Amino acid sequence: MDLIKRAITCLLVVCLLATPVLACGGETQSETKEIRIGVIGPTFYVQGQHHRYGAEMAAEEINKAGGISIGEDTYRIKLFFANSNELLSVTDAANAMERLISVNRVSFVMGGIRTEAVQAMQDIAMDNKVIFLGSGAAAVELCTRVTENYDRYKYWFRVAPVNSDHLGHVSFQMLGMVAAAVAQKTGNTPRVAIFAEQAVWTDPIVAAAQANIPLMDMEVAGTWRVSATATDVTSELTAIRNAGANVIFTALSGPVGRHYVQKWGELEIPAASVGINVEAQDAGLKALPTKGNYETTLNMYARVNLTEKTIPFYDTFVDRFGEPPTYNAGTYEAMYVLKEAIERAGTLDPDSVVEEIEKTDRISPAGRITFDDSHDIVWSPGYVTTVGIQWLDGEMHCVWPPADGSWEDVSYEGVVPYKLPPWM
Amino acid sequence: MIGLLGSYLRRPYKELKGEVLVLPSRTIVVVFCLALLLLPLLTSDSYTLRIFILAGIFAILAASWDLLSGYTGQMNLGHALFFGVAGYTSALLNTNAGLHPGLSIPIGSIAAVVAGLIVGIPCLRLRGPYLALATLAFPLILTGVIFAVPGITGGELGISGLSVLTGSRVGDYYLIMVLALVLGFVMWKICNSKTGLIFHALREDEVAVRASGINTTRYKLLAFCLSGLFAGVAGGLYVHFMRIASPSSLELMLSFQVIIWAVFGGIATIYGPMAGAFVLVPLTEYLRNMPPPVDEMRMLIIAAIILLVLLFMPEGLVSRLRDRMEKVCPRCKIRNIASRHECRICHTALD
Repeated sequence: MDLIKRAITCLLVVCLLATPVLACGGETQSETKEIRIGVIGPTFYVQGQHHRYGAEMAAEEINKAGGISIGEDTYRIKLFFANSNELLSVTDAANAMERLISVNRVSFVMGGIRTEAVQAMQDIAMDNKVIFLGSGAAAVELCTRVTENYDRYKYWFRVAPVNSDHLGHVSFQMLGMVAAAVAQKTGNTPRVAIFAEQAVWTDPIVAAAQANIPLMDMEVAGTWRVSATATDVTSELTAIRNAGANVIFTALSGPVGRHYVQKWGELEIPAASVGINVEAQDAGLKALPTKGNYETTLNMYARVNLTEKTIPFYDTFVDRFGEPPTYNAGTYEAMYVLKEAIERAGTLDPDSVVEEIEKTDRISPAGRITFDDSHDIVWSPGYVTTVGIQWLDGEMHCVWPPADGSWEDVSYEGVVPYKLPPWM
Repeated sequence: MIGLLGSYLRRPYKELKGEVLVLPSRTIVVVFCLALLLLPLLTSDSYTLRIFILAGIFAILAASWDLLSGYTGQMNLGHALFFGVAGYTSALLNTNAGLHPGLSIPIGSIAAVVAGLIVGIPCLRLRGPYLALATLAFPLILTGVIFAVPGITGGELGISGLSVLTGSRVGDYYLIMVLALVLGFVMWKICNSKTGLIFHALREDEVAVRASGINTTRYKLLAFCLSGLFAGVAGGLYVHFMRIASPSSLELMLSFQVIIWAVFGGIATIYGPMAGAFVLVPLTEYLRNMPPPVDEMRMLIIAAIILLVLLFMPEGLVSRLRDRMEKVCPRCKIRNIASRHECRICHTALD
């Protein structure tokens, strides 16, 4: 009996002694709160995986550095991932967004890739006044909504990539560089085959290519439009060869891009390939028998010093995930844009955070980030320019802007000269 | 006063007791309808309501496919055409003419009826796989048209910024659930009427129907139009609920999903395809939100479930369950609960 009494007394003493410690601990815990952020994308595809990788990397860095400070409180980032399945179903994408907001109770969302689905997701986010940072869909129309109805759509920002008009502009610059190399080697006027997937973001690029290529002292050999999910483009490539094209100007974002590179290399189509090919931004290309060699595409990132943050980001990303970042890893930048805006606003109130995101001016791995009136990322020399990369010996190399600074005096350390395929 | 009220309630009570509660299938339908109508009182979670709203819309679509393909045997592999035509028509009328969804949806449905005629007339002479392939082509053609005139249809982006249905999730839920139940009942009544009998006969033996002096052409076109009308309502509701009409509403995958829901639930029943949609839409969504690797294998799991149902219940899940719970009297053809030994009407032995 005495033993029991003694044990109870000891227990009470321990409890009394522990109370202040527990109280302090409790106080510390109550100071560390959570900010719930949703990451939405097609998680079974490379686009969605990179959404996840970029967000995860940034969130871990931010949390490790102490989290997000709002006044005297510190918030840790808690991520929620949603599979939008948007490449296959718009309904699924909208459901995933609704789930993030109403079940996971996220305050912010980032991701998205397919314009049609992003529109549906945008509406749900706007209904709930949830800030949605896009990092995948390039269509201009997504940001036009902001200017047309600011009060409703102001919660939308595009962090990556630059819009399709700017993507077109850069790809024309790269086309000029490749065409010059072709003209120098063959001595003939370059004949350009336009090879684009059937999608809204490629429409202005195709129209601009048809109108501008003749003005650039080149000829249009023809236009080929394919499905974004086509698995064989042999007939199109054969037709391109028969049309006498010596340059292929690409605008591809879907899985067709990978099949295109494979067939183009296997068939040794005597035409240099340049333009936009999202699949060629992914390391998976080197698994092809041809290792994707000589394919040239626009990209958001390359292992060159776009800013002082680019190479450290690039190397950390490759070390951790075993592949270089695509533009969908723009969720990394989106997370920092959000963090800084929340800290400046000193609140999680979406209207106040929107005001602060509008004032963003930060150096990121992709360049200097600011937003225009339509909440679109600004593309310009000195800001985000994007780069051109070429696959050589199974590795990505930056080939644009040229090392000589011939484009707007912009040059990045580490750029290599463009090489024509040897079969040309 | 109380006596008057009692006399008013006595008859529905008698009907409920004598006609509904005597059969498990009818009791389940009543309980299911009540559960659907009471759901917003149990949860206000907008995500859950959203999934059931979509299930309701797809239930109308699946039942409309059943009316055409299940009853008349006119195999339609492109049912998304009606859904898409009505969706785009509603969206265009709503955004360009400013029509309220209460008007744009019915007009969209009429456009789907016209689409039904356009598909039905050239397909009159086709049967079996030829008819199926021809119907498959129409949504593909319309998708091509949508991409060809992006100035009107919005191309790949579709038409966005549509008016909301009611402005609240619960309001949308009740509107769509009531419409799903009412339209499902109307379709079931049509299929159980003389017209439905002719539809059924068309599937079994078209020559015999023609030999009976029935204008089969007229009935086949009627089936296409009715199916288009109901699918059109679903299409209109869908675009106003999603607030976007896009080419994905014409995708082949949607046409195939409709068939899967119908076959899963049981074709040529109307309520079977509706039940199929109400089971498979939430189940697919539930599996998508499961942790890996279940989420990655959700289509495999769904496919396995459907294969098992096809293997062990070829008549469909609902039809099989109904047959297990009830027996048909060999004399008067009235359904009885399986535990009865004699018919509740004519007292014929059931075993």
